[in-house]
Amino acid sequence: MERVSPGPVLLPRREGGLRRRLREPARQASIFVAYFAQFVKSRLAYRVDFLVDMTANLLSLGIQLLVLAALFDKVESLRGWSYDQVLFIYGFSLLPLGLFNLVSVNLYGFSEQYIIEGDFDRILLRPINPLAQILCSSFGTGGLNELVLGGAVTVYAGTRLGLAPGLAGYALLPLLAVSAALVYTGVFLGLTALSFWMEDRLGLAPPVYNVIRFSRYPVTIFSPLVRLLLTFVLPFAWVAFYPAAWYVGGPQWERVALLTPVVGGLTFGLGYLTWVRGVRRYTSTGS
Amino acid sequence: MTADPSAPPLIRVRDLCRDYGVSRRREGVRGGVVDLLRPRRETLRAVDRVSFDVAPGEMVGYIGANGAGKSTTIKMLTGILTPTSGTVDVGGLVPWRDRGHYTRHIGAVFGQRTQLWWDLAVVESFRLLQKIYEVPDADYRRQLGRLDELLGLGEFLHQPVRKLSLGQRMRCELAAALLHSPRLLFLDEPTIGLDVVAKESVRTFLRDIRESQGTTVLLTTHDLGDIQQLCRRVIIIDRGRVVYDGDLDGLRDRVGDRVELHVELRTPAASADLAADTAGLPVRWREAAGLQHVADFSRRDIRGAEVIKRVVNARPVLDLRVAEQSIEEIVRGIYRRGDAGDLP
Repeated sequence: MERVSPGPVLLPRREGGLRRRLREPARQASIFVAYFAQFVKSRLAYRVDFLVDMTANLLSLGIQLLVLAALFDKVESLRGWSYDQVLFIYGFSLLPLGLFNLVSVNLYGFSEQYIIEGDFDRILLRPINPLAQILCSSFGTGGLNELVLGGAVTVYAGTRLGLAPGLAGYALLPLLAVSAALVYTGVFLGLTALSFWMEDRLGLAPPVYNVIRFSRYPVTIFSPLVRLLLTFVLPFAWVAFYPAAWYVGGPQWERVALLTPVVGGLTFGLGYLTWVRGVRRYTSTGS
Repeated sequence: MTADPSAPPLIRVRDLCRDYGVSRRREGVRGGVVDLLRPRRETLRAVDRVSFDVAPGEMVGYIGANGAGKSTTIKMLTGILTPTSGTVDVGGLVPWRDRGHYTRHIGAVFGQRTQLWWDLAVVESFRLLQKIYEVPDADYRRQLGRLDELLGLGEFLHQPVRKLSLGQRMRCELAAALLHSPRLLFLDEPTIGLDVVAKESVRTFLRDIRESQGTTVLLTTHDLGDIQQLCRRVIIIDRGRVVYDGDLDGLRDRVGDRVELHVELRTPAASADLAADTAGLPVRWREAAGLQHVADFSRRDIRGAEVIKRVVNARPVLDLRVAEQSIEEIVRGIYRRGDAGDLP
């Protein structure tokens, strides 16, 4: 029998064509949806847990609303902002927060689960973006409450204020909410990424998380210094007030509000850059 | 399909090195303060100029004691870790540089760590993996059918992963790592913690999969049984260096293949008495405890049956047990003999 000397075995690369590149986001999105569907399914396996969680979360949101109502029982307005205006801002603030909370549970436990326990190795073995895998690996179902309640409060307050934002106004609302969610994600992603450098568990996230509370009120009620910090340093003014003010505060807020996607993009970009450098560090130190 | 050693290698590793920076802590509170101000950094070489080739379809055991550098090597071969220096070429790809392409061609099972979703039914985890690796439906069904046939997954395919026994889970892990029909399979301690039956089914499966799909397998293990049944070739690494690369028989010849025979007697006797029983055979006796004695000999010199026959004929014996050397002992044996420098 004739013996043919075999050539070297080559592992094919995936074709890097434009079409595949364009399809890639859709592919990742479909995986995201599949993860989410699986997650909901697995959560529903513990139906009682799920309902208790949702109820507790709803209660805490209800209490926040009551605090707001109690506050305005004592005062007519906050530096010129009426109850309905503040309520609208609060309602809107829940939309990006809800989106963020859906994925953020993975960031809090990141250092523990992925770095210390070593699960990050497994993430690197799969042909999908590591961050996408992390963000999809679990979901904070409380985020769904925030989205529903936030939507309801926004509509309720908007109706009481007699707002008529027009077609563009309606169309922009989801875009602004997503941009604002990117601000949150960017900030916490950056903080999470620091755990690639620090061995010890990170203590920065909880205090920063507490700052989020400030973002539910008109920043004009705070001192100029706090305002400055919330606008440029820890840009939480953009997660609710700046975009929402455009709807309730009049046209002088338009320019600031429309900058929200830019700020969202920048914050997320900065956070993601830190993340990518962290991943590179991980693969070059293995610790 | 069997490996052809003369075929061009699929994996080519050359002078692979990996250093770790470690900080040495000083003692006491004062030391802690000093550490904070002026940390003592040291460089540790975990993998030291490792070179080897693996032919397509070969199954290679990569063994060594804990901390010898096994995991670090596997991490570099799977693209998780970038080496300090040296090269790895796997079918034209560099694992850490071409990770996006490379991960589609490899499967990996890392010991106790699961790659499945804890709360999901096994089959749902598989579905997600199908999506992740973009396996066409027809291929997925065919491969799952094959894996099911070999591993008998059917009975627990619809149970959540958390409810599986370790043995069942390991079978699922193997299936999960092979759903996308990878060319290479990396296994880190695939039989650790498994009972005899589960171990056997994993070994049979690995043999089958290599034969039917020509998968190239690199596995680390502490279990000599894995090596004996699966790998014609072993690479032993110690303190970051390759100390042996060859077949198992060659290894046994090299270290002398020590065997220990544990004997429990019915009536008391001294080790010297037992030595008298086996006079003329190259056996060393020592007393273990009470009625228990241990004979130490090399399988290269005599057969165990010969020793057993002599003892049983001479005095009443309650129990007998033959203990083979563990991989650690074999590795230590190589070092004792000072073979480290002379590589085949």
